Amino acid sequence: MLDASRLWRQFLSSSWLQAGAMGLLATLLAFGLWAAAPTTFTALDWTVYDFWLTHRAPIPVSPSLLIVTRDQASEEEFGSGPWDRAILARLLTSAHEAGALTIGMDHRLDHASPAQLGGAASDALLLEAMNSAGPIVVAQSLDSTLASDSMIVGHLLVTTDSDHIARAVPVTATGDSPSVPAFGIALYEAFQQQTSQTKPSLSEESRGSLLVNYVGNGTVNAFPAVPISAVWRAIEHHENDRLTEWFKGRVVVFLPNPVTGGSWLLPTGQTVTGSVAHLHVLNMLLTDNRLCRLGAASRSLMTLLEAWLVAWLLLQFRATISLLFSGTAIAVYGACILLSLVTAHLVLPLALPLTAALLVLVGTTIWSHLTSHQRLMLLEQDMIRLQQEAAAVRETLVLRETRAETLQEDLAVARAAVAQSTGQQEELSRSADVLRSQLTDAQTQEEEARRKLEGLEQQLHSLRAAASAPTAMGDVELDRLKEECRRLNIITQDAGLLRLYRDLKKGAKSQLTVLLLGEPGTGKELFARAVHRLSPRASKTFIAVNMAAISPELFESELFGHTKGSFTGATADRRGYFELANHGTIFLDEIGDLRVDHQSKLLRVLQERSFYRVGATSPTTVDVRIVAATNRDLQRGVSEGWFREDLYFRLTGLVFRLPPLRERTGDVPILADIFVTEIATQMGKPVPNLSNEALRALVEHEWKGNVREFRHCLEQAIALSDGPLLTKESLRLGSASPPSAGRAKPSDILPDPASDAAVLNCLRQYGFDMQATASALGWDRSTVTQRLKGLCFQALVESNGDQAKAALAIAGDPSHLRTVELKLMDYHSHLLSVIEPYATADEALLECKRRFKNLPDRHFRSVEALVRQHVAHKPAQVKRGEAS
Amino acid sequence: MRRRLVLVTLLFASFVARPSVPSSFSQTPENAPSPTAETQPTSSETSPAPMSTDEHKLPELLPQEREDAVLVLGELRSAVRLSPDSAKDRLKLAQGLYRIGDLDAALDECRAGLKLEPNNAKAHLQLGITLMAKQDGRAAATALKEAILLDPEMTHAHYSLGSVQYSLGNLTAAIQSYRRALELQPNFPDARYRLALVLKLTNRHQEAARLMEEAAIGGIPQAQYFMGNAYRNGQGVEKNLALAIRWWTTAVEFGQQRGAESLSQLRRQALSPDQPERRRKEAIDAFRQYRDGLWAEYPDAVRNDPNESLGIALLKDSQASDGVTLLFAEAYALGETAHDELARLYESGLDTRLAQFDKRILRCFETTAADGFIPSKKALARIYGKGLGVAPDLQKAKAMLKGLSKQEMKTVLDDIAGR
Repeated sequence: MLDASRLWRQFLSSSWLQAGAMGLLATLLAFGLWAAAPTTFTALDWTVYDFWLTHRAPIPVSPSLLIVTRDQASEEEFGSGPWDRAILARLLTSAHEAGALTIGMDHRLDHASPAQLGGAASDALLLEAMNSAGPIVVAQSLDSTLASDSMIVGHLLVTTDSDHIARAVPVTATGDSPSVPAFGIALYEAFQQQTSQTKPSLSEESRGSLLVNYVGNGTVNAFPAVPISAVWRAIEHHENDRLTEWFKGRVVVFLPNPVTGGSWLLPTGQTVTGSVAHLHVLNMLLTDNRLCRLGAASRSLMTLLEAWLVAWLLLQFRATISLLFSGTAIAVYGACILLSLVTAHLVLPLALPLTAALLVLVGTTIWSHLTSHQRLMLLEQDMIRLQQEAAAVRETLVLRETRAETLQEDLAVARAAVAQSTGQQEELSRSADVLRSQLTDAQTQEEEARRKLEGLEQQLHSLRAAASAPTAMGDVELDRLKEECRRLNIITQDAGLLRLYRDLKKGAKSQLTVLLLGEPGTGKELFARAVHRLSPRASKTFIAVNMAAISPELFESELFGHTKGSFTGATADRRGYFELANHGTIFLDEIGDLRVDHQSKLLRVLQERSFYRVGATSPTTVDVRIVAATNRDLQRGVSEGWFREDLYFRLTGLVFRLPPLRERTGDVPILADIFVTEIATQMGKPVPNLSNEALRALVEHEWKGNVREFRHCLEQAIALSDGPLLTKESLRLGSASPPSAGRAKPSDILPDPASDAAVLNCLRQYGFDMQATASALGWDRSTVTQRLKGLCFQALVESNGDQAKAALAIAGDPSHLRTVELKLMDYHSHLLSVIEPYATADEALLECKRRFKNLPDRHFRSVEALVRQHVAHKPAQVKRGEAS
Repeated sequence: MRRRLVLVTLLFASFVARPSVPSSFSQTPENAPSPTAETQPTSSETSPAPMSTDEHKLPELLPQEREDAVLVLGELRSAVRLSPDSAKDRLKLAQGLYRIGDLDAALDECRAGLKLEPNNAKAHLQLGITLMAKQDGRAAATALKEAILLDPEMTHAHYSLGSVQYSLGNLTAAIQSYRRALELQPNFPDARYRLALVLKLTNRHQEAARLMEEAAIGGIPQAQYFMGNAYRNGQGVEKNLALAIRWWTTAVEFGQQRGAESLSQLRRQALSPDQPERRRKEAIDAFRQYRDGLWAEYPDAVRNDPNESLGIALLKDSQASDGVTLLFAEAYALGETAHDELARLYESGLDTRLAQFDKRILRCFETTAADGFIPSKKALARIYGKGLGVAPDLQKAKAMLKGLSKQEMKTVLDDIAGR
């Protein structure tokens, strides 16, 4: 399952793979379509070829080829039906005597001559003539009544395509008997054998069919021919010179059969007999004007390649450009077909690649639409994963930093020891070396961790960028979504939020539980209401419950209701929120603030959609759509244990992260406009205008409390302002919110940048990254570390040794809690390890002074308190240990 | 036996009584050709091939014969009218109708006769033969098989069935039928010839050659021609061009013009300068051997000189008839002495055997001259130049001398001018 999911993820993220799959699918579909409508597709496939064949300059006729045809005069002399074979015998003998190199005859030896046509005697004469003039190529017949050793049988078959056009002849015809070569090919081979004494193996090489390069319009008239009557006269009158002139050194083909229209339709529109088609094959071979075409495998491969290329172009590029590139690819292929035909006489497939390309064109568009949501989800998952990895790396970094700091301190102590005791110098220098190397290692590891973190953040950044790309929307759609949002009181023109709304709209129709994440004031309730209004339950009840506001004692009663007399004060039956929201939607706000025991109760409702009223003996079942929201990191809650994992998975049916206002500053002006109008109207004041400076200040301000804070700020400004213009000053933004990171110098943060509060602020701002904070403050890193260490000790003292409480106090923002907790624990354990060997507090403090000499004095007081506290507890522990 | 002979004679007479058609491969044994060269057809050896080779084509009766046949037919019709229930009369009428070519009427009479006498084998045979003429092979085969069933020893039914089977493409069945006919009547050259042909077509050349030779000896000109071919090609026999010439000459004597064509072809091979020397020598030797072989048939004739003509020797020996025949044979076989003698006899004549300016001699010269025989050309130039038996035509005479050396031309032209 995991593999399948990984494969699917890999597939969705690789345009090559997707293009390959699309290409393959389109190729198969194209083949299917061909099978369904073979005539149409065949005709389409050959369109270019047929056009070229009809409109090109005619190919030459071989001077070695002579056709002797039956004519009117000969029919008058020998009859209009079949002729006596004795006539054919004499023609053959004369041609042979006149020096014909190879003789072919369109005559079948499949029947004995009837008595009226000379009977057995004429048959014997023909066979004798063939023996003496042979080898003679004759037409293949089903039954071979007569046979001769000097006879080569050639088939007169023609291959017709599905559109009933004859474009090729089979090289060999196979049946029960050994394979029979084509008439034209057999003649060519016999001729080649006579002229070059080498046996060409055309008929042995190939088992397929040979495209016919027709001369002129493809009829027999395209060849210069001698009528049989003229030949006969020359024989009768012993005109040997004429006969020699006609026949000497040539391939002579006799066509003694009655002239018929023929049954094979050519690409030129003419109808010919099989023998004529084979004459064109013979001429094609003699003049070496062969045509080639690809085999079935190559055609499929070409189709696949073309389809793949088009699919790849469509997936790789966007909108119009992709269409333009795909169209170009198809056009280039079309040009290749024509070019290969003209220059190399190679026929490339047309119908299949074209169909596959068109299928890909449609298919890829549909595919993109179908998978865009999936891709987005996968990208979000990737982001979450990377965030987690980044957090883990950050933790490692914290530990490394701390370790490095500790080692530096140890080194300093060692150095001091060296200065004091020269006698122990060597030993100490060795230990200093060890420590130095450890320090170097730790620093290297830290650097690596930092690099890794940077890489991960870069990936995260690119993923964020990519996440927004695939679902790019047109202006029209954006406007439409904006309008819909406006109707739901969601005021935004941010594309990201609109996309989120679009996905939410899709998801609203399902029954899935929706989890909305986002900082306070990002509009979680608005979106929860939107889910309800966009769902099929829109006409039913929407109940919003703030979980943080419910008294823990009344939790069950409030949510599930109670029965009369179930507890003191329960004077009547009461329905809980779940029951009230039956068939509708219940919005569980601040779900992250729910106590663990309450979480398990809620879990049961989410699982089974049934619960017990307080005091009830039978369960109540409800049909409720659940939308939950929180500003806390539930995933971290799961890892830290304050949030149930199973509840977390129950809630994460559809997860939407609402961006804070600072991430969509584009909405600030529009929100400002609307809020100013609303507030002024409510207050009964004329609507003031915002100065450009004020607006810029609003945009630049980091709205920690998001829209809620933003509105309050405007309310305050309008209430206190009398003029028609709201200026920057009237907004009173200066001290309330620190400017965003990176844009202000450290000196701008606070009047006293060296104060603990300022340092802490800066640390929080940079996520307790020592390096970043140090560079922001322009300090040495160890100074920042010492300051944090002091702050941590101070917080520990203030919280009476409760590390969690102390960490929360330092972290400020819960998102940094884990980092601070780790650092604090490390500092504390280091302190304890330093004072551990000493029995009295004074000795320990002396050592601490030496060790923590860089710690500001005001913080050393905290160290002292901690040491004394530790030593005070120690004897008791020791005593307990001895007693046990 | 006597009954069989009578029947065969009757049937042969009834269905193939045709006059001699030159160069035909007709299967009529009785159609004996003229035995001598004097009776050679005047159409020369270049007669066209598309001659009537119709084996079962109805005889074209001469006017006199037609008249006789019509008279006979009238009598037969009267006989049928008088006794309509006589199958015998109806059969005779059918034969008469067949002879004049009224096949439909002949069929009707045959069928009427068979209704009267269903077991009449002759009637079935006649029906089969008539159906063969109507080109209805399958029906003919059925009728002939019926005739054989009724009378298994009916030779001609077997023979005709052989022909029908062949035309239907059943070569094996045809061979069986011919063999059966020969078993019943060993002295049946035509059946032998037919059998030889079919065997030849099935590539059984040796047996075919043996049977063909027997048929040729039996006087079948087609068989003689094919024997000549067999000896030329070495098919079934050892190659022997001299024997080939002999058989072709015999075939020509029996009226088979293809023999003349083959001879002409061989003469050209011997005389044409275009031919390879080996082939020329082969042909020249063959003609010489043939001429020498003629002497062996006349052991009494005395030969003093290898170039001496047997014809002249026989003429001197007062065997004028054979002498003239042999002179022609030798002249056609490029015998110069015999040729010169014929040239002399053309101008002088020989009592009753050869008239002065005999056309047969002129035709012989023309034939051999066309094949490139120089003495013939010279003789013809002299004949046309001097107008011996023909209108004088100097142009033609000069044309005859084309290709000769200047000296030879001058001699001949002087001879013509010296008249």
